[in-house]
Amino acid sequence: MTLDFSILGTVWPALLRGTTVTLELTAAVLVCATPGGIAVALLRSSPSPAVRTALRATSAVLRGVPPLILLFLTFFGLPGIGIVLSPIPSAVIAMALYMSFYFGEIFHSGLQSVPRGQWQACAALGLSGPRTLFRIILPQTIPAALPPYISHATEVLKGTALAAAVAVPELTNAAKKVFVVTYRPFEILIAAGAIYALLDAGLLLFQLWGERWAARRRPAR
Amino acid sequence: MIMSYYDLLLQYYPALLQGLWTTLLLSFVTLVLATPAAVVIAVLRETGSRYIAVPLAILVNIVRLLPALVVLFFVFYAMPQLGHRLSPLAAAFIGLSVMGAAYMSEDFRGSLSAIDPGQYRAAKALGLSHLHTLRRIIIPQAVPLAIPPYITRAIIMVKGTSLASMIAVGDLTAQASRATSITYQPFFFIVLAGLGYLAISALLALFQSWAEFSIARRYRLAPRQG
Repeated sequence: MTLDFSILGTVWPALLRGTTVTLELTAAVLVCATPGGIAVALLRSSPSPAVRTALRATSAVLRGVPPLILLFLTFFGLPGIGIVLSPIPSAVIAMALYMSFYFGEIFHSGLQSVPRGQWQACAALGLSGPRTLFRIILPQTIPAALPPYISHATEVLKGTALAAAVAVPELTNAAKKVFVVTYRPFEILIAAGAIYALLDAGLLLFQLWGERWAARRRPAR
Repeated sequence: MIMSYYDLLLQYYPALLQGLWTTLLLSFVTLVLATPAAVVIAVLRETGSRYIAVPLAILVNIVRLLPALVVLFFVFYAMPQLGHRLSPLAAAFIGLSVMGAAYMSEDFRGSLSAIDPGQYRAAKALGLSHLHTLRRIIIPQAVPLAIPPYITRAIIMVKGTSLASMIAVGDLTAQASRATSITYQPFFFIVLAGLGYLAISALLALFQSWAEFSIARRYRLAPRQG
């Protein structure tokens, strides 16, 4: 069978719609998982051993289970306790939960890079806890956390393909829908793969820029 | 009719066990295929000629830019268009091994590059061949370094086998979600499947501590201080 990429001329609107959904999913997961990650990082240095143990247990479970299982759990499970969600929110919840713990690791090491004395200094200056966190501590963690944050963002982008399993019309699902009709999986999957690769490459370029920016901003000590 | 969890388990455990078996088989075969491929890729990229290293680098990075699901779909749905029809299981073996080998070769490259390059020159000065240097000098030092990232990667690959359910492989995830949609039990089977994956990950983590311990003893490495 010969390859004929002219099929892309007819299916591109479907792929474009899929790409839009993929980007929306990625953005939604990042928007939810970033504060989630900050919360996880802060709780990890909580003074209460119970909180730390609970967090470690949750993290071990979430890392030991395939993301697809988590996705099924939110998609099939939440309606069972009376929360009925459409596919997209349940996919966002599952992936944001999963990524919060990965981001938590990044932000935790970022927080470790700021000397503890700064918290005491801020307390001595009469700054409130949240103000210290958002105005003094977090801005300093950005140079250390930005490069790994972006490389995890590419994982989020690639991970959104899983949402196809719960009928979210993202890029992989859109590609499948059109190749099932047109019998042209080869050309269409190459196109979908190329779109993912381009989006990923965009993020990685951003990461390179971020690394250079971070190298300039790394606090001299 | 309301069924108790015990009845549900009694009715579906053969399917779930079969799924668990398929998941174990998928994990085992993909690890067995991906590990040697990753070693070869890593060694060639670190020490081979530029004409091999550059194309390999391009291939590995293309694979790493793609979602695993797209790679699986490609092997399963697109290969028949070129005349290679594969069974779902065979397609999953190939797709997951390719993904695993690409990521794993990066892990191995990391541990190879941690070896002081002066050792290559020293071995050359002593008249050792390149293969001999790799086999007797470089790789024995890289193996202990490679074990923690290797097990982490192996756990990620085991979890990744759940994607095979998307190309009609009857693995643990597929059996659990099938049982879920037949019985309308929202949590039971998914949680069971999750426990199955957790058990495999935990076994791998145990293997990691054992391997680190026995390698430390074999190579008489000093226990890490602090």
